[in-house]
Amino acid sequence: MTLGGYQIRLQRRTNLPGWKAALISVLAVLFGLGLFSIIFLQAGQDPLEIYKQIFSYAFFNPYGRGLTINRFIFLALASFAFIIPMQAGLWNIGMPGQLYLGALAAFGVVYLFGGKSGELTASGAVVIPLMIIAAMIAGGLYGAIAGFLKGKWNVNEIVVTMMLNFIAFYLVAFMIKDGGPFMNLGGRGESFELPEAARAPMTGGYPITLWFVFILTAVLAALFSRMGLGYQIRAFGKSPMAARYAGVKPFFIAVLVFTLGGAIAGLAGYHYFGAVPGVFKIARTYGYFGDLSFYGVICGLISLGNPIASLVIALLFGGLSIGGRYAQGKLHLPFGVDFALMGMLMISLVAFQFFYNYQILITKKERRLDVAVSD
Amino acid sequence: MAKPNTKEESIELHGDIWKHIQPGEVVLDAQGITKRYPGGVLANDHIDFKVKAGEIHAILGENGAGKTTLMSILFGLLQPDEGQIYVRGLQVRFRSPEDAIKMGIGMVHQHRKLIPAHSVLENILLGHPRSKGVMNQKLAEEEIMALAERYGFEIDPRAKVWQLTEGEKQVVEIVKALYRGAKILILDEPTSALTPLETDRLLESITNMTQDALGVVPFITHKLPVVLAISDEVTILRRGKVVDRLKTAGATEQMLAQRMVGRPVIFDLQKEPMEPGEPVIQVEGLTARNNKGVIALDDVSFTVREGEILGIAGVAGNGQHELAEVLFGLRELEGGRILFTGQDITRASVLDRWKLGMGYTPSERTEVGSIPDFTLVENVAMNYYFDNRYNHRGFLDYKGLRQLTEEIIEEFDVATPGPDVRIRTLSGGNLQKIILGRVLSRQPKLVIANLPAQGLDVGATEFVQRKLLEARAQKAAVILISEDLDEILSLSDWIAPMYEGKIVDMIPAAEAQKDDIGAMIAGIHQEERSS
Repeated sequence: MTLGGYQIRLQRRTNLPGWKAALISVLAVLFGLGLFSIIFLQAGQDPLEIYKQIFSYAFFNPYGRGLTINRFIFLALASFAFIIPMQAGLWNIGMPGQLYLGALAAFGVVYLFGGKSGELTASGAVVIPLMIIAAMIAGGLYGAIAGFLKGKWNVNEIVVTMMLNFIAFYLVAFMIKDGGPFMNLGGRGESFELPEAARAPMTGGYPITLWFVFILTAVLAALFSRMGLGYQIRAFGKSPMAARYAGVKPFFIAVLVFTLGGAIAGLAGYHYFGAVPGVFKIARTYGYFGDLSFYGVICGLISLGNPIASLVIALLFGGLSIGGRYAQGKLHLPFGVDFALMGMLMISLVAFQFFYNYQILITKKERRLDVAVSD
Repeated sequence: MAKPNTKEESIELHGDIWKHIQPGEVVLDAQGITKRYPGGVLANDHIDFKVKAGEIHAILGENGAGKTTLMSILFGLLQPDEGQIYVRGLQVRFRSPEDAIKMGIGMVHQHRKLIPAHSVLENILLGHPRSKGVMNQKLAEEEIMALAERYGFEIDPRAKVWQLTEGEKQVVEIVKALYRGAKILILDEPTSALTPLETDRLLESITNMTQDALGVVPFITHKLPVVLAISDEVTILRRGKVVDRLKTAGATEQMLAQRMVGRPVIFDLQKEPMEPGEPVIQVEGLTARNNKGVIALDDVSFTVREGEILGIAGVAGNGQHELAEVLFGLRELEGGRILFTGQDITRASVLDRWKLGMGYTPSERTEVGSIPDFTLVENVAMNYYFDNRYNHRGFLDYKGLRQLTEEIIEEFDVATPGPDVRIRTLSGGNLQKIILGRVLSRQPKLVIANLPAQGLDVGATEFVQRKLLEARAQKAAVILISEDLDEILSLSDWIAPMYEGKIVDMIPAAEAQKDDIGAMIAGIHQEERSS
């Protein structure tokens, strides 16, 4: 394309340093926010004021920050649950089902220790770790179904995980609604409340699950960049045939990644229903959190499977979902504007990934001097 | 820069450009073709060349010399940065292959671009302008048969493409190009997958075509003798530049290879006599099916000893590929057993086979043999991630792997900016050097080399073959699968021609006759025996 004596061309990048990728993402967020300002302006609002409200509530207001962190933990875990199979080239769309199963298992432990009546038959130091372990095992096994079917008979994992979500959804309903074993005695269509002793301890004002996120980030980063097992997963993800030739066992990888992903999704289920202050029950609106876990897919895709990068994205979307809802109420913005804003940012982030592979070259026609304007 | 296309130059208006053509007239004239790739690689550097009607103009060059780029430009797949193309004196600019086809340029790719499940006729008609509306298939079939007969091609328009041999598929591609009105035919390595018999037939037909004032441009890498025998002129490319342009008459193979590589090439490999040692691999009654579920490997037995090269000769699709996969545990066995150094490994996993000292260099180098998006270091890790020397309690020693990669780059003379680039940036020859270097660096007791030199240039071919002989000298057993009889004859100690999944005979190299083996892999002996 030529424009006023300049030739504008697209050129494939040969390599992309990490800082440039980060810069592209930051520009994408700014672009998305800028574009969405038009909608605010059109509604007669000052976009700068709105963004200030959103971000200051989400990240600086002590109460808002607490909510943001809880969301962040949940989204980060959901991202990890997606990223591990993604590195093996497989799609885990089953986070909702896996996290429901995780939550049910955690509550099952409490149930077994008599927690439904409000008093535990053992100390919290025994019950809480068991809840976490049970949640991860249940989520992991539920995920493993998809991995097993994929590895054994090459059944499409997207369909399997998707369908398993429905089963898990109604299983939760069966367990917590009227007549279910976990039913709240008040009959509000939600589960019994966790006894005081079975509630996750807080560290520095945040649930203990925050530490799980940090530890898992480090473990996953090491797994994929340093470890032989992570190497096998990545090799299988990039080229299953080449991986098989190199001795990687496809069945093992498929089962492994879905078990690990499912276990982490199970932990996310534990987190929201067993560790977030003020919840401590499987809420009537548990489906909302199932849907929220799909943001893990977005975080995983935007961060291209990098666990550290996915943390940043999870924090951004965690904050926006909290701050956006707050600003909507405070400034009387139209309903759903918070989700529209998040959607805009996602599209912008995904669209800007174009610049991961291409750069725009602007050449002056006469002098043929190549000026690289990247990003 | 080329002038932008104006209305007057519109390609549609010159449909009758090919009228009144005289043999010897310049029909295609490329001037100063220059193409730069991102990263600054100059693939074509002011290339000039002319094709005359009724002539065969061969283009020689190693991998990476710029042949592929040049033919992509001539066929409209790529646009040159500089330079002009004239077809019968008319300046043209191809935006896509569609434009090139309209101007009478046809191309036959090295990798066949046919639809296997469709018939020959359907494949030829696919994309033909007349196939857009309702078309008269019967008439088309008659026209195609007439065309084929004129140039001495034998085709069966009703056959399905998957049933054809590589040679037959190539003929279909040529007829397809001719039926679309090609007057200049570009052939990419036309003989690389053909048997000697098929090659002779093809060359005869090509000669027939030139009688009709067609210009033919075969691009060749390493099969010098066959095509040179029939070409009139040769242009030799090296590193994107034309280094020589000469009449074929009077040129020798030795001289051309030297111009092409830039240094003298030794065609005779040094094969030391070896005393065969203990048996390394013994196979009995191997039987397996191919991907279509048809028996592709039928009761195959042989033994290879230390310091021996067994050459499996055959035309593609006669079970050699399945044999390699079965030996390496990548394909399920229907029957038979495999002993490796006396141990039964029939049911062993691929990983165990690596650990036991087997090595395999697959023919699908980009799909199986390497991971294009991985760096060189990560690709070398494919054979080492399980090895205690580079895997310390689950953690890979990337520093050590990087050093190993550098050693392979050094020893195998791999042209690359460094060990940390993605392997997809390497040319075919360099990729094969990395794969072979990686496998041989494990010092395997058995090397299965599936088409190790296919598609490589003279220099890389010689290098790869020398490395296989070195492995033999270090007492490794080598199973060499090749479609190139010269390669089989010059490297092997034993030669096993394969035809339709069976090993036809087991011949000691000293007694092997090229003609006999050529006949065996074409199934001729087989038919004589059964009749």
